[in-house]
Amino acid sequence: MSIPTLKNLNIVQTVVDWLDERVPLKAAVEFAGHKEVPVHKHSIWYYMGGIAALFMGIQFATGFLLMFHYVPTFEGAYASVQAINMQVPFGWLIRSMHSWGANVFILVLFIHMFSTYFMKAYRAPREFTWLSGLGLVGIAMVFGFTGYMLPMDEIAYFATKVGVDVAGESPFIGPYLAEFVRGGSEIGQVTMNRFFSLHVIALPLAMMGLFGLHATLIQLQGISEPESIQKLPKAERKYEKFFPDFFKKDVFVWFAVFVAFMLVVTMKPWGLGPQVDPAAMAPIGIKPEWYFLSQFQALKLFPAKILFFDGVHVAMVFIGTVFGSLAVVPILDSTGKIPFISKFATVYGVIFFIGWLFLTIWGSL
Amino acid sequence: MFPVWEVPNIGSGWVIGLIAVLHVFISHFAIGGGAFLAFTEQLAYKKNDDRIYDYLKKHSKFFLLLTTVLGAMSGVGIWWAIGLASPNGTQTLLQNFSLFWAVEYIFFALELATFLAYYYTWDKLDRKTHLKLAWIYIGISYFTLFAINGILTFMLNSGGWDFTKGNIGDAFFNPSFWPALGLRMFIMMALAGIYAFFTLSREKTMDLDVKAYLLKYSAKWLLPAVILGPLFVIAYLFTLPEPTQQVIINGLSTIGVGNFSIMAKAIFMTMVFAVGLFGMVLAGPYLNPRAFNTSFAVMLLAAGFGFMFTEEWSREMMRKPYVVYNYMYSNGLRKFEVDKVNKEGFFNHHKFAGAELTTLKPNDELGKGQLMFRYQCTSCHTAKGNGYRSMKVMLATRDKDAIKNLLTMMKENHIVDNKGVAKTMYHGYMPPVVGHQDEIDALATYLATLNSDPAKTTTAKVESSNS
Repeated sequence: MSIPTLKNLNIVQTVVDWLDERVPLKAAVEFAGHKEVPVHKHSIWYYMGGIAALFMGIQFATGFLLMFHYVPTFEGAYASVQAINMQVPFGWLIRSMHSWGANVFILVLFIHMFSTYFMKAYRAPREFTWLSGLGLVGIAMVFGFTGYMLPMDEIAYFATKVGVDVAGESPFIGPYLAEFVRGGSEIGQVTMNRFFSLHVIALPLAMMGLFGLHATLIQLQGISEPESIQKLPKAERKYEKFFPDFFKKDVFVWFAVFVAFMLVVTMKPWGLGPQVDPAAMAPIGIKPEWYFLSQFQALKLFPAKILFFDGVHVAMVFIGTVFGSLAVVPILDSTGKIPFISKFATVYGVIFFIGWLFLTIWGSL
Repeated sequence: MFPVWEVPNIGSGWVIGLIAVLHVFISHFAIGGGAFLAFTEQLAYKKNDDRIYDYLKKHSKFFLLLTTVLGAMSGVGIWWAIGLASPNGTQTLLQNFSLFWAVEYIFFALELATFLAYYYTWDKLDRKTHLKLAWIYIGISYFTLFAINGILTFMLNSGGWDFTKGNIGDAFFNPSFWPALGLRMFIMMALAGIYAFFTLSREKTMDLDVKAYLLKYSAKWLLPAVILGPLFVIAYLFTLPEPTQQVIINGLSTIGVGNFSIMAKAIFMTMVFAVGLFGMVLAGPYLNPRAFNTSFAVMLLAAGFGFMFTEEWSREMMRKPYVVYNYMYSNGLRKFEVDKVNKEGFFNHHKFAGAELTTLKPNDELGKGQLMFRYQCTSCHTAKGNGYRSMKVMLATRDKDAIKNLLTMMKENHIVDNKGVAKTMYHGYMPPVVGHQDEIDALATYLATLNSDPAKTTTAKVESSNS
């Protein structure tokens, strides 16, 4: 073995080799390089998964920092958030990033979900990738719901109350569900315990697990191509390695998105409403967060009675069915070989998207 | 004193700001981009590579169109806007720096002429002579920066010059001059690289190896800003007047605890844009030049514009409440005139405001207050709605008495005791309100109507006409 001299000593290579002997670094890089990303005019949608992952990271990091000062008690929560906003150095920034981040995270997940749907990326063998992604959207929304209550300002309290009351209207299981979520007949300390433990333990674990599955499936099965690209002769299709080529582009986009995100976070820091008085009347016109507005608005459209059934029960079944269909319709179209079903899935997706958008905008007015 | 130019919703300051930032974004490229052309042309000769030479011909066309059309138009636009929004400040700058402006204009004309000669002589002059034109262009264009930099930095630090006697050179070569000059030079080089990313991204037929090489080469133009930029920023901040440094420190220290001033926001975002740009350039054109495309280039241009916007905004905010530091407030009021105006009365002192007052009905308290607002406040505030620093929003629930007390206190904004302690908390942030007490009361009457319902406004009008 020759003794390395200063001239021929490559420090980086030496460190990499040393690490590689102990951790299979090169094998991991090679594994990451196996995945190829198709290059075509719809490639922009491939960035959405990476952006969602970025915001998931931001949420975990800022959430972790917020827990240094947040007090999860019915009486102390508001004061602790106020202190985070006004006294803790850079507390406002972390909280503003966390609150804005939650909204942007869900928005990006929606964009990712719809783009994946319309590119028919759910087809075999990627059904589980689609379902795990759908699960991640669901978890993110529950994250939003449980996190919304934690500052315990007026709007947080009453929006949670309305949300839980609405869930309580579900047929059969509704009352039990509401009782379980609240930990009693009213929102109180037990509710906070449940929301907080869900928000900081159960949901992060569930999200990490499902994200791990989602990412592994993508790595193993590769990234899907839209039908129009699949039809092209192989020679006309272009690909690039996910690692390091597409990953570098991902990093570029992360920086760009992060700067835009920080612009909003800084120029419009997330505020805190007045402290809640549980005995007071709910403020007029209280609404849930934007990602629940379509369901909220749909609920209002149903009459009190439909034949022999309570309107609200019918509405809950209807809303549940419509959102549940996002898991079913892609499975029906998983082969892509039945033209009628394939066309139906596209038309259904368009109707779903327009309806969702329309009700969300209507609900916000 | 001059009439005021009232711009609803955004205020006149933002009209200047928007035009000025666009101009700065282009004019800095006009200088840094010139250096880029010269060095890169030299590189093309050294490597004897016609592909680089051909690219430069196209890049110089883009340079010519952007700097001489949009750059020159926005430059004229700034003069129009500052003449309307801040006629007193413009007058001061013109009077004090006539010679420097004249020299700047001569060099600007020379700059244009040299570049036209440079652009139209590609392939017509021998290489050595053509390159000489590029070096001449750098020298001339850099001198325009030299001249403007003295005037701009003077507005923040007059270098001890008292506007009546002494050496004007002290004002021009004020303590901020050299750090600001260096800082702008680094920014110009960085912008030269960012603009080159854009033109390179539009190259569809260029050899991929050459394109990748040039993208990496252009990325290196950001290095001086990354390495030396922060040091020059610190040096620049140390040369600012102490009260301005205090305002910055207060602004930055309150970032931590949430009391986030607009200036602190601007400075914070400047840093975020700088870090973001560095990350984007590293991950994009430097480490992954072969995948670089126009979308990425446009994102880099947008981030560069964002950086310039927040940097210039921060600089403007540091100057508050003055437009020319320690001499003229942002509403055109000269510091030495404050006591005189308070003694004479605002409408007696200000010819245009006084003339407008005569068009109102006698005892029109609201109209008089509105005039006070227009002449003393609109350079920084809008009145109604959710406009820029809207008084409706800022005064929120304050009633007339509370507003009157606030304004009366702000009459002493300029006063500092022997120990350097300001008499009011608004010192360093806002000019003093000036005028007789009845004029200030009229201003309070007007401001109180911004958040009152129409019925109350009518009552106020009736009351004022009866009194």
